[in-house]
Amino acid sequence: MNATPEAIAQLIQSALLSPRVWFFAVMLVASSAVLLLAVWFERKAAARVQMRVGPYHASPRLGGLLQLVADALKFIISEPIVHRGAFRILFTWGPPIFITLAFGASLLLPLTPDLRLIRDPGLLPYGLVFSLALLLLVSISVVIIGWSANNRFAYIGAAREALLVAAYEVPLLLSFLAMVILYGTLNPLEIVAKQYALVGAVMNPLAFLAFMTAVAMATARFPFEIADYEGDVATGPYSDYGGVFLVLSFAGGTYYAAFSYSFLASLLFLGGWSLPGFSAGPWPQDMLGHLMLSAWVFVKVAALMFFLVFLRAVMPVLRLDHALALGWRGLLVMSVLSLAWSVALRLAGAAP
Amino acid sequence: MRAKMSARSIIKFTVDAFKVVIRNFIKPERITIYYPYERLEYGAVRGWIGLHVEKCTSCMMCARVCPANAIKMYLAPDGKRRPGIDYGRCIMCHFCIDTCPADALYSTEIKDLAFYSYDSMVFTPDREKEPPRVEELRKPVEVIVDYVRGTPRKLKVARS
Amino acid sequence: MVRVESYGLVLREEGSGERRVLEIFWGPQHPSSGHTRFIVEVEGDIVVNVTPDPGYVHRTMEKLGETRHWIQNIPLFERISLPDAINVTWAYVMAIEKLLGLDVPKRAQYLRVIMAELSRISTHLYDLGIHSIMIGSSTGYMWAFGLRELLVHLWAMVTGSRTTPTWILPGGARTAPPDAFYTKTKEYLNYLEKKIDEFVTVVIKNPVGYYRLRDVGYLSREDAARYMATGPGARGSGIDWDARRDYKYGAYGEFEWSVCVEDGGDSLARTLVRICEIKQSARIIRQALEKVPRDGPLVGDALLGKMPPKLREMASRRVKLTALFLMRLPPAEAVGVTEGGRGRFLFHVLGDGTERPHRVRITTPSWQNLRAMIKAFIGSRLMDLPAIYGSFGYFPPEQDR
Ligand code: SF4
Ligand code: SF4
Repeated sequence: MNATPEAIAQLIQSALLSPRVWFFAVMLVASSAVLLLAVWFERKAAARVQMRVGPYHASPRLGGLLQLVADALKFIISEPIVHRGAFRILFTWGPPIFITLAFGASLLLPLTPDLRLIRDPGLLPYGLVFSLALLLLVSISVVIIGWSANNRFAYIGAAREALLVAAYEVPLLLSFLAMVILYGTLNPLEIVAKQYALVGAVMNPLAFLAFMTAVAMATARFPFEIADYEGDVATGPYSDYGGVFLVLSFAGGTYYAAFSYSFLASLLFLGGWSLPGFSAGPWPQDMLGHLMLSAWVFVKVAALMFFLVFLRAVMPVLRLDHALALGWRGLLVMSVLSLAWSVALRLAGAAP
Repeated sequence: MRAKMSARSIIKFTVDAFKVVIRNFIKPERITIYYPYERLEYGAVRGWIGLHVEKCTSCMMCARVCPANAIKMYLAPDGKRRPGIDYGRCIMCHFCIDTCPADALYSTEIKDLAFYSYDSMVFTPDREKEPPRVEELRKPVEVIVDYVRGTPRKLKVARS
Repeated sequence: MVRVESYGLVLREEGSGERRVLEIFWGPQHPSSGHTRFIVEVEGDIVVNVTPDPGYVHRTMEKLGETRHWIQNIPLFERISLPDAINVTWAYVMAIEKLLGLDVPKRAQYLRVIMAELSRISTHLYDLGIHSIMIGSSTGYMWAFGLRELLVHLWAMVTGSRTTPTWILPGGARTAPPDAFYTKTKEYLNYLEKKIDEFVTVVIKNPVGYYRLRDVGYLSREDAARYMATGPGARGSGIDWDARRDYKYGAYGEFEWSVCVEDGGDSLARTLVRICEIKQSARIIRQALEKVPRDGPLVGDALLGKMPPKLREMASRRVKLTALFLMRLPPAEAVGVTEGGRGRFLFHVLGDGTERPHRVRITTPSWQNLRAMIKAFIGSRLMDLPAIYGSFGYFPPEQDR
């Protein structure tokens, strides 16, 4: 291959305009921004409810928005300790696996019709299924972490996580299935297109409720902060982590998982990028339109995440057996009902 | 409310909890004091203890009543002994002030005591004589927490 | 027989392998165990045995009490339980009063009741707050401590100190509250009652919190009596005993109020007793605020007689300790009992003619409740430990003395 200046220029130009590169860049920047906002909101909202102010001194002008950055910096420059007795390999690899799975899941989904990593439209349905599969694997990495720490609190936390997985996985999958049946397709582009008039959350509210509750369980939000419940197991699987490990798993990873779940939910239930009266043109020409659409998606994602983090201010922690009962009875029944509702809609011909 | 909750009351009480929390979210009742910038005004708080040297009769009652053994009697050139307080030990009970029969010890307004070294915490009678110079980088705003229509509010104190 | 497995845990097998027990060292460095250790043995999710290992904050209060002037013991014993400072010192001071034969004027009686009830509210708020964070509700925690912050402002107005009042003296009280105290206390109580209702909605009636507390840590009436539980620990199990009513110390006989008793015997019942007592305390304080004379000496005649005239005039605002400092304990013994927020405080003081007590025997409610709490622990689930622990208002510094 001869590298003439024109060829290089063309290469650079195509790279600069490639939807994949843009997708990556937008996802990285926007997910960090959404996370920053969500954590900030979590702290500030809880503080507002609780007669106090919350983070402030890290950036008084911005109301403490940069506190998370300061925290992350502090964690990253502190020494990562691997204690004697830990299973070194899994102990150190657990957090990277955790965050890769948690964030990687959202990379398999399209952000707008053109901004996506999977170029072949025929493969998009697999992307949807795989992203869910990756997200469900996150809890496996929690179990790995808990087991490798060789600490009783971590061990109990891992066992709890494993029990919880069994409780929320089925309702999560069933409510997912309900939506798929409702839309009659697995292709995210078509799914979003079908929510043009009515979003999924309105067409099948039960599925939305079951899905979000299961998501709260899966990402250890309140009231399901059970595996890492401070009261008895002292942050459970993560109790031996410090420094960058903690950022990658407990302090950052769970939020990335929440982000990916919210992204998935925004496509499935909130109509993704569909904005009535507005549609973006083909990619390189209408770049601004696509960016606007992706911003619209992130607004929805942020709204879902804000809801998830706001639960901290409202709820205590549910007991393990009650959470399991809720998963196996309440959520399961709810998701089966939502499935039946979808099937009924489909049979009645009312499905989109 | 001891009974098992019915499904309806579960939903009702969950909604109630959300309602209360959201009401507090919309109308926060914050009482946080931004400490270095603001300072809470309590009124007469037990503070740094000063000594009127001329009143002291060297009776040593203060040193004997001190529960924390913070007071040491220092020999003055005139042959009398006068109390000096070690603020590393003092628990600010002000028993010394209340016991002194000659009213030689008195309380001041200085209530935030911080020192650069251990040595500077030990006050000899000479240093006890007059209040230490308080180094303040900025003058804090004096605030009080008072109740406005039933909820506590942080209010600025008008300094006379 | 101990078998060590390569990863994760050390299991103890009992019998011929039918019971596999995992031992957990819960504390003393743990987010919710406090300064004490519990060796918890769990089988599956069920707690089969708990061995307490107290003493991490033992400060030799009883021995120290023998080595110093009795008046120096007041700030010392206050530190047994700072949230409940007034009630602790009141019990000690009561014993000293009996030994020295000091009388307490009406004004000081009412002021003591006001401050002691504030102290009870402070303890209950402290316990409710810690209990909330133990069951995971940070909102309840912050509200309780926010309310307590407002309460210590009141304490600071009266005593000049936020948390270490050192205010009760044998024969009366040390300082008179400023006039603003009376109105501010009333406003505080109004706000407190409103906020406590919100607390109940968010933490206790909230189904998540409700099921964390209900049927958890059951302590039957008989067990509560046998293990000598006290305070909310006993009243939550249906034992109708309250030192304020049964010994009628102070001016408690003059107020209209009721003892809060719940029959449930579980964490919920104990928490409800706390909530109810906060409301009853507010009721008592309101009555006392009406009745308290705004002027008059703070100490009784027995002590006033020993004061020089100048100090006697001052005694309606501030009491000098000189006269007290010169008193010696007669060779006799006396007992002071008060009802603190967590239960009964008992001080048994023996004098021997010097200014130092010969012996001070202290019983604190947390120590008394320890065995009852262990009894309530056994058979519960692991996640219930914090919910039970918090419901007894267990406070290691108070237990270890
Ligand atoms: S305030 Fe109390 S501790 Fe401090 S010197 Fe005086 S008597 Fe001693
Ligand atoms: S300060 Fe007062 S109590 Fe202390 S020695 Fe002097 S006169 Fe006596």
